Amino acid sequence: MQWLSKMKQLNNMKVYKYRKLVISLVLLLGISINTIQAQDSVVSKTQISISYFLPVTRVPYLEVNTRKKVGRKFEPVKNIPVDIYFNEAEPSNLLGKLITDSIGKGRIGLPPSFKNSWDSLNKFKFLAQTESSPGQEAISADITIKKAILTVDTASEDGARMVTAILKEKNGNDWVPVKDIDMRLAVKRMDGNLSVGDKDFYTSDTTGISSAEFKRDSIPGDQKVIVTLVAEVEDNDTYGNLVTEKTVDWGKAITTQKNFFTQRTLWAIRSGAPIWLLSAVWAIVIGIWGTIIYLVFQILKIRKLGV
Amino acid sequence: MSLLKYESQLREPLINGDKNYHQVTEDIIGPVETKPTRLWWIGFSIALMLLAFGVYSVYREVAYGITEWNITRTVGWGWDITNFVWWIGIGHAGTLISAILLLFGQKWRTGVNRAAEAMTIFAVMCAGMFPIFHMGRVWDGFFILPYPNSRGPVWPNFNSALLWDVFAVSTYFTISLLFWYTGLLPDLASIRDRAKTKFRKMFYGLTAFGWTGSTKHWQRQESLALVLAGLATPLVLSVHTIVSFDFATSVIPGWHTTIFPPYFVAGAIFSGFAMVQSLLIITRKVLHLEDYITIGHIEAMNKVIVLTGSIVGCAYLSELFIAWYSQNTYEWWAFRENRANIFSPYGWAYYGMIFCNVVSPQLFWSRKLRRNATFTFFMAVLVNVGMWFERFVIFVTSTYRDFLPSSWTTYYSPSIWEIGFYLGTFGLFFTCYFLFAKFFPVIAAAEIKAILKTSGENYKEKMSTIESMDSDKFYEEEMVHAH
Repeated sequence: MQWLSKMKQLNNMKVYKYRKLVISLVLLLGISINTIQAQDSVVSKTQISISYFLPVTRVPYLEVNTRKKVGRKFEPVKNIPVDIYFNEAEPSNLLGKLITDSIGKGRIGLPPSFKNSWDSLNKFKFLAQTESSPGQEAISADITIKKAILTVDTASEDGARMVTAILKEKNGNDWVPVKDIDMRLAVKRMDGNLSVGDKDFYTSDTTGISSAEFKRDSIPGDQKVIVTLVAEVEDNDTYGNLVTEKTVDWGKAITTQKNFFTQRTLWAIRSGAPIWLLSAVWAIVIGIWGTIIYLVFQILKIRKLGV
Repeated sequence: MSLLKYESQLREPLINGDKNYHQVTEDIIGPVETKPTRLWWIGFSIALMLLAFGVYSVYREVAYGITEWNITRTVGWGWDITNFVWWIGIGHAGTLISAILLLFGQKWRTGVNRAAEAMTIFAVMCAGMFPIFHMGRVWDGFFILPYPNSRGPVWPNFNSALLWDVFAVSTYFTISLLFWYTGLLPDLASIRDRAKTKFRKMFYGLTAFGWTGSTKHWQRQESLALVLAGLATPLVLSVHTIVSFDFATSVIPGWHTTIFPPYFVAGAIFSGFAMVQSLLIITRKVLHLEDYITIGHIEAMNKVIVLTGSIVGCAYLSELFIAWYSQNTYEWWAFRENRANIFSPYGWAYYGMIFCNVVSPQLFWSRKLRRNATFTFFMAVLVNVGMWFERFVIFVTSTYRDFLPSSWTTYYSPSIWEIGFYLGTFGLFFTCYFLFAKFFPVIAAAEIKAILKTSGENYKEKMSTIESMDSDKFYEEEMVHAH
């Protein structure tokens, strides 16, 4: 029974004392991995949401988003036909139909027929609804919006340039300021909006005003140094998405290089190679070919020695 | 026997048989002095025929224009650049053997350096043909030279890697030629001194450049070789680095990778050594030079082949991994769909390349196979085929599907004149090699003599007798001998 005594010896070794702990950890890890894998393979039903947008330069529009949860992340659902209604899902209230695109989104502008309702009402309910189809249940979402208006302006305060935005909602026949609403005050750039100050959001006070100092002095404008200021209320439960803009001449003038394509650069054409490159190339060429010529003379000397 | 010439008995001899200086001269210079064999005439005739076909193919291209080739709007270089880079790569082994191995004091280079250097010169000549004739109007070829002219905008662009190539390749050729010629001088003098006909006396008298073998001559020749080796060593690395820049500095998916320079250099040495093996295995057999180009030489070169082949294999994997890891859609597409996908139009070329360059050289880990000349010959041919595929894969699979799917319709395959041009360069190469093998010694006899007393089989045997002697007795004898 020599092997038995060997086993006992092994069991007495320090590492085997922790075997229970190791086995528990391995089991725990296995269970965790299984759970994660099980979660990853779960696919939820398609969900729908609707958002309201009021951009200053365009007609108000509604945006529908269809998606479903696959594992632990949401994935867009495309090609879903959606009907958009005002107030209730009645044919007479139909605002339009849309089909979601490859990223699961669809947009519809409020039609001219909606103008009377827009003018007379202060609160709107919009409804997005899909019909049931094979493999797809009917789903719907709604949003209730209070009519509001956002304006942006500029002011000067102790020599500093200020950007101010005022948010007002329609109450009866009056526009009243709205307080405690977060909004962005930004300057429009090519790939997004850049906050004019240090904070991302500014909150409106009791007069409905939020303001920030314009600190982007060195930001380039267009040829006439014009930049566009943007005030934006994002995804607010009561007012939806409001965007307004104002152009100001606060940008920095760009001095375009008239001779850009004729300067000496690595990407220049023909005779535009940088001086440092030319120097390096010629130094190498002259150095190596100088040595080669020297060596040829050395070979010629061999002949001289032999004659 | 001087103690200074001692070499470890563990090293196998580099010259087999009972050789002395005279025997070395007879063995190596002898073939130059005899009439060409029938086999030589047959080989030379085939080479000339290929050359003639190549000349006619080039004539077609020059006379009727570049449309004689099947290159397309996207595959603008096709076989032309593939063959250029392939031949340039072939030339790399010669410089490596003559320069780097000289600086590292590798004695085994003496058996193979002459033929390898000649091969370099001929390979670079062949390579140079492709860019020259791709110009179309070859008579305007001198436009690429940077000298003051009145052509206005037609001025070489020093930002372009293609221009650096002109400098790199021409310098490489010149230095290789000088190296080859400098090494030839003592042997040319030997042939001159043994010449019996007037013509031979005159020809070798002129080419031997008055070599007498004096100390002053040797001193000058050795210092020349050292300076040339110093110049040629960075060239081995720089020439193919610059060739790789032709592609790496572009924005073509599959080309703009930083791994290209070391990858190209390793590949060039790999293919160059394979070509040296193919040539020397035949040469040693035909000219009966087995005692000088030994199995040891073949094994040493096979070790270089397995090393560089493995480097190339790592490079293939690296670029594939980086293409995926970069998450660059176009780069990954070029590798996944145009190369690694075996069912893609050129998938066969990619896997052919992998088999020939990565899988097959691994057989050289076996000592038995490394020392088998016949097996080595077939492997060398396989490697050269694989290295041709490598260049074809890089150049064609990266360009035949460009950014516009509308231009994906063309499957590039060469025209008969493109093939003819390539075969023509084989004709040129072998014509030159046959002439070289006939009129010049294919082994550096003088250098063989320099290592004969340390690495010759018979001298090593004498040394083993000395090794078995009592050390005190040996010392006494040496002292007596010294005084």
